[in-house]
Amino acid sequence: MRWSVHFLAVLLAAALDAGLGGLFEIGSIRASILPSVVVFVALAAPKRIVMRAAMAGGLACDLFAPTVLADGSALVVPGPHILAFALGASAVVPLRGLLYRQNPVSNAAAVVVFSAFASLGWISISIVRSAVLGSAVPWWPASGVGELLVQLMSALADGVLGLVVFWVLTRTKPIWGFESKTRLAPGVAREGL
Amino acid sequence: MLPARVQHLLTGRRLDWTLLACALVVSVAPVRMLRPWTNDLARLVLVPFVPVTHLGTSLRDRIRPSIESFDPKSPETIALEAEVERMRTLYETSRLDALRLEEVIRGLQATSTRAGGGALLDVGATTGSVVAGDPNGPHGVVRINAGSRHGVAAGSAVFVGGDVFAGLVTDDVGAFISTVLPSTRLPSIGCRLFPVEGSDPARTVAIAPGAVLKPTGRGTWTAEVASAGEIAVGMIARVTDERLPRSALGARIGRIVAVEPIEQVPLARRIEVEPITEARDAISAVVVIERRSDGGEGGPR
Repeated sequence: MRWSVHFLAVLLAAALDAGLGGLFEIGSIRASILPSVVVFVALAAPKRIVMRAAMAGGLACDLFAPTVLADGSALVVPGPHILAFALGASAVVPLRGLLYRQNPVSNAAAVVVFSAFASLGWISISIVRSAVLGSAVPWWPASGVGELLVQLMSALADGVLGLVVFWVLTRTKPIWGFESKTRLAPGVAREGL
Repeated sequence: MLPARVQHLLTGRRLDWTLLACALVVSVAPVRMLRPWTNDLARLVLVPFVPVTHLGTSLRDRIRPSIESFDPKSPETIALEAEVERMRTLYETSRLDALRLEEVIRGLQATSTRAGGGALLDVGATTGSVVAGDPNGPHGVVRINAGSRHGVAAGSAVFVGGDVFAGLVTDDVGAFISTVLPSTRLPSIGCRLFPVEGSDPARTVAIAPGAVLKPTGRGTWTAEVASAGEIAVGMIARVTDERLPRSALGARIGRIVAVEPIEQVPLARRIEVEPITEARDAISAVVVIERRSDGGEGGPR
């Protein structure tokens, strides 16, 4: 896989998420492009680099989304989404063998799984951070359960948006330089090729 | 050459675990360790992508403009209405100022102590486009493409839609870009509630019901108002919080969307206030820079 393409893609996706913002928003539920990009890589890249690619996506997400501190200042914390995306990717990797990747719905399902696990990870890390530092959680004054529900609904929205994003990303597959390990065995079916 | 132990950590699966451990350490690192470098690093990454985020906000505004943009009235009428609202704000500001000055005079007469600094000598303003919002949720910070080179200082008040107080500039101010904390994320905002048509000039502004707005986390505020005066849905909340910059005083901030009685306190009512316009929905925002007599700029007092 070409890392330069991956870095550019995750940064572009994070920038578009930051810019488009309310376009894919219903109430507090917001769909994002970045999870689809990370899942696209997680399904196509060699397993040994999936975790690193997901962490790069998490870093891009952290850089574009500063946390608001209790004193009203904004601080970029590069970490929570890195861990969250790693958790999401580790949930998607076992699905690679189960999913029929030509089916857009299965890709969308993988995005939902990724986003749901990433949300759980982000909420957990945020709670740990607030417990360790004695600071407020990012979703204050809303409740943690409310935030979890919003995040899970957003995961579903990510899946719906993923249908479109995957359609676009699939057409860019040649420039990603994914290694193909599919062996073509000679046979009657290929004699006409 | 890297030591053998470090090389051992930077290969294969161990690299993943090393990176995860680093991320965990940074995630729980105290603010004083992160503040010197993370915001600058994010700005370095963000700046080359500002055209992309800006394209995104422009697209969003084209495809899904804010509800106010659907107003069927002609642009001239809208402009005139905005002018009327601005005049109302100036009027309420001057009335609040008069009230404040009367209190200062009373205080001076009572204590004969010096009033102290804080008087405004000069006020400037700069306009910036809203170039990015929080990718993770609708109620996070927004970024505008105006920074210290344009005179923006931390703590400056930010306005959208003419005279709607939208938030404060955080201390994350770059040369060409700065971060705005939306008003819905401020811990509390003191305000007074006025009828939509403006207050009665014959009556003192002090009788307008006061409230301290607290964020609900859903992009609105709630407050308990202990006043026998009329409180109705649609009333306008205007900033009267002395902790905020002077330029924000009297500015519109929200409108009441719900009023309900509090059973335990018969004279008090609980209200819910929604922002009139939010920075994240705006195309551009105005940052008011206050230069004080002590040479300082902006900032809540």
